[in-house]
This record gives sequence, C-alpha cells and structure tokens, in this order.
Amino acid sequence: MTDSGQERRRFTAALLGPEAAPEPTPVHHRVARGVVVDSTSYMLCLATPNGEERFLYERVTTLWRGGEVLPTELRPGDDAVVLCSHDGRLVAERVWAQTARATGLIVDREGESLQIDPGHGRPRLTVVVPYRASGRVSVRHPRLEPGYLFDAVGTWKDGEVWAARPVTTQPPHPLDASPRRPPVRDRSATVEGVATWYDPAWGRSAHLDPRAHTPGAAYPALDRAGHEGTCDRRTSCLPLPLLSTGATLGLRNDCTGETAVVPVLGCAAADSWFCDLCPSCGGHAAGRIASLTMTSFVALGGRLEAGCFNATMTVANQEG
Amino acid sequence: MFPEILAAVREVQLPLLAVLLLLGAAAKAAPRSEGTGAAALVPQRLRRPVTLATCLVEVVLAVALLTATGLWGEVARVLTALLFAVSVCVLLVVRRRDPEAGCGCFGGLSREPIGSRTLTRASLLAVAAASTVGLAPHGWEVASTPTPIHGVVLGVELFLLAWLSPELREAYTRATGSEPCALREVSSRRTLRRLRRSDVWQVNTSVMFSTEPEDTWRHGCWRFLRFDGMRHGRRVDVVYAVRVDGPRRTGVRAALVDRESGAVVATFGAVTTLDLQGPPRRLPRPRQAARRDAAEGRGGARPGTLAKEPPGEAGRGMPGGPPREAQDVQG
Repeated sequence: MTDSGQERRRFTAALLGPEAAPEPTPVHHRVARGVVVDSTSYMLCLATPNGEERFLYERVTTLWRGGEVLPTELRPGDDAVVLCSHDGRLVAERVWAQTARATGLIVDREGESLQIDPGHGRPRLTVVVPYRASGRVSVRHPRLEPGYLFDAVGTWKDGEVWAARPVTTQPPHPLDASPRRPPVRDRSATVEGVATWYDPAWGRSAHLDPRAHTPGAAYPALDRAGHEGTCDRRTSCLPLPLLSTGATLGLRNDCTGETAVVPVLGCAAADSWFCDLCPSCGGHAAGRIASLTMTSFVALGGRLEAGCFNATMTVANQEG
Repeated sequence: MFPEILAAVREVQLPLLAVLLLLGAAAKAAPRSEGTGAAALVPQRLRRPVTLATCLVEVVLAVALLTATGLWGEVARVLTALLFAVSVCVLLVVRRRDPEAGCGCFGGLSREPIGSRTLTRASLLAVAAASTVGLAPHGWEVASTPTPIHGVVLGVELFLLAWLSPELREAYTRATGSEPCALREVSSRRTLRRLRRSDVWQVNTSVMFSTEPEDTWRHGCWRFLRFDGMRHGRRVDVVYAVRVDGPRRTGVRAALVDRESGAVVATFGAVTTLDLQGPPRRLPRPRQAARRDAAEGRGGARPGTLAKEPPGEAGRGMPGGPPREAQDVQG
C-alpha cells in the first residue's frame, strides 16, 4: 500500500465523507506466501516475511504445480501460496507452487513459445505452450497468432511461463477488430463481473518482496490523468467508474460470499480488452472488474488455477 | 399529370442518389469505420484499402450523376444501379457469415446488425438508380431547377429512407445519449478550467504556492487536485474536488488539510444538496405561492381563513395581516 494511496483516500474522505474512501481490509491471516524451504509428505516449511513457517498437510490438502502434485514434488526455492484451513494458520488446505499467469496480447510466436504483451508498461512475457498442454490450450485459444488475446495459467520455469490450462475462451477476432462497446446509459453503485488475478512480484523472492504480499487489485478503468506510466486500456464492456490508484473497491465473491475492501494498485489494461464469462458459480455477467493480487484473490476464496471468480464490486456513492 | 409525376420521380433520384453516395463516402472515410459491410469479408490488412476503394468509387459515381450527360451519364447510372444491386448480394453474404456485423453503408454509423430494412433500402436505391437510365438532364440541372412536384416526391422519399435507416437512430443516440458522469472521460485541462472559474478557487489563491497541482486523481464523478500551500505559517494541503458535470455553482469543493497533523482546517463549497427555501433564495411571488399551495393540497388561502395557516408557510406574511394582502395572495 503506497503512502500516496493513503493520502488520496484521506483527502477524498475529507471532501466526500468517509464512506467514499473506506479503509482497505488486511489480507486474511489464512493466506501465506513465501519460498519453499522444505516439503515432506506431512509438512511444508515456508520462508515468509515473518520468518520460517510450518504448515501441516492433511489428507484433503491439495497441491498444485501445473497440475495436482504430491507433497514431495514441491522443490526448495519454489514460490508457494498457502491457504490454511479454517482452524488457523497451522494446517494447509491448498498449496499452489510456482503459479504464473500470462494475460495479454500475443505479439510474436516462434514454435511453441509466444511473446505476450500485458499492456500496462510491464515487461513482455515469454510463454511456452508445451506439447502436453497444447491440446487443452488450443481448444479455447484456437488462434495463437500475433494480434489475438491470450490468457492462461501455468508455472514459472527459468523465467518463462509454461502454460498449463487456459483461463478463458479467446475472442474470435484480433484485438484491433474488437467491436465498439455500446454506450452506457445507467450506472449503479454495484457492478457484477469477473475478478481475476495477477502476480505483482512475478514469482520472484516472494519472502522478501513486499509486492508479493500486497493486498489490492489492478483496475481496468483507471483515469488517464492521475496515472503515471502507460495504461493501454480500452473501454471496458462493464460500466466501471473511472478511478485512480489509491481508491478502494468493495468486492464480494458471489460464489463463497466472502467480502473485502481492496485498494487500487495499478492499471489492468488487459482486463479491459476481454469481455468474457467465468464458468464458476454465482452471477454470469460478462466483463472483468479487477485483477486482484495473488494473495487477495486467494483470501477472497478464489482458486489460482481456475483464474477467475464471479464477483460484485461496490464503489461507494460519491455524492457526498 | 401521371407522366409528369413519373418524370419528376425519375429526375429526383439523380441528385438524391448523388447526395447519398457522397454522404456514404464521407462516413466511410472517417476513422474506425472499417470492419463493417463488404470489408468484413476480407482479411484484416485489406479492410482499410477496401473501405477506401469503395469510398472512391462512390465519390466518382456521385460526381458523374451530378455532372455527366450522354454516354458517360448513362454509364454512371447503370454502374450506380449495379453498385446497389451488388451491395444487396454482399450484405446477404455478410449477414450469413456474421449475423452481428453492421452494413457499413454509412461507415461507423451503420453498426446495427444487417436487417430487412437495410436490405430493402439497398434494393430500393438499386431500382431508383435503374429508373434514371435514359433521362436527358443531369443531376445538377434537376437540383438547380426544382419544381413543387420534385419537392413533394423528395419529401416522401426522404421519409421512406429515414424509416428504413438505422443510422439515424444511431446518430440520435450519439447526439443525445449522455454517459453517466462516473464513466465520462474528461481532460485535466477542462477540470482545471472549471476549477479556476470557481469562487472556491478565488478564495484560496492566496494560500497556494503554485497554480499547478501536485497530484491529481479521480473518484467516479469527481476529480481531485492537490496543491501545496501555507496558512498562518503552517504548511497545508489545499485539496479541491471538481465535479465532472452538474451545475458549476456547486461543482467545486475544497479542503485545507494541515500537513503535520492531518486535520482538516477549513472546508469550502457546497455541503448540501437540499433545495433550500428561505432568505438566501428569492421568495416565490404571492400568486405563484398560492397556486403551489393549492396544488399541494394545503387548501389554499381563502379570504378570511389566512389566520389558520401556519406562520411563514411558503414565504408568505404572518397571520393576522391586513385582509387586503390576503386577497392579493388568493389573486
């Protein structure tokens, strides 16, 4: 959370009332992220900002590393996100290791590897679609050609994303030929749509990098004037109010009913390019609301390998 | 009489078709108009060239319809009829391939999916162009020597075309459709202009160090601007909230926040959205007030009953006033 964001919220509250800028809720204590030190068949040892933490496995614990794996298949040095069971921070319910995501525009293709542009000044990603995942990916991404969109979850391997499963169905047209969004007439304080996730730390040094633990979300309707750097966003297909970094969004997972208030951390240009559905439970509105950070996404009940959940966003009434 | 009307109908088509072709060409030349109509059938890289080529053909035919006579004139009329006939076929193919595609007849305005009205319009225009073959005058001659029959025929035809055109509805929606303020893109220059015209800005200019904001951010309908300032020897942040739309009078708020303690030192601007009644606003005229009371079912003030009314209601005089005034109120 940046000081600038806190200041903006303070000033917004001074002028429009405290309801306009509610304070963000901290990430739930059930969620931990760090680097794997050791993983045995019954216990995971993780280096986190709080030091080394140990989590026990139960029979129901599921581990994901490009697919379901056994506890002993986690390797020291893996970036891991742990969701603990409801009893406390002792027993791991789900563990995701080396999870990576590539969302954006395909700019180049060479054999199995693709160059993906996430669209907000972030560096381009190299994505490898290995043979064993290519069938699954090509069903929902039939055109792996420059100009088309791509969104898949996979694992980090030597600085590259190895795609494991597609998250969405690719739009049938290139990004440049996207249909113009119809003008919006009415707007309500709540917007239903799809919440996704991104990793602000790029899977590196999860125990040291504060970005890896930051609660928050990248937002696809960021105001151009108050944003430093590039944000190659387009008009979203949802009626999203224009906001700047530092504003807060109230999000509710329509599937689990969990809620949180998260601050806007940056631009989610790629989310404004998609107008897709999420096949999870809850509402079925097309279009993306926000990209949560990994830890915020898991804390709100999302599954990283699924990549999305249906959510309802509330931006407080700003009439003051 | 009937042959005259028929001749007028045929003659009117020449300038009308030329104007429609010119309008279509101008709309197609505008940016973001490719990807509809015939261009939807070709690969992405060829869409812009195909759109521009169509545009060029339309301009040439329009000019020929207006000016060419003799053989060239006949060729232009036949080609125009062919153009519209071919476009009917193309639209049918486009509709079969992509039911959501617009016809692109008027570029970006024709984004509504191709329907029976669009097809009927193209067919009618093909017939109209075919009917002009063999006419002696060219389009400009007809336009420069109009007759009442021409006017009536043109009116009827324009009405028919308007009914068949989805573009008019689109243009109307664009012209009148107002986006909610929270979604509207507004430049920071416009926000600054609005801020600098406000009373709140005038009041605080002496406090601020600079007239350029240190930080700018947006919160739905409001844009915020923060300036550095000094008040009574203490550093303050002067923060303005400028509404993107709405009345200018109440559109700007300001707060002076102490830099060290973070306490709000002063606030300026509207804090209420209530429609205030009372001294700051002009009182309604007596006749108007009486009419309003009657409409609101407060019984009105009949002569002699004024004393029963609560004092000060609707900004009128106190009870027990002179009966003459009461009669004036009743009006």
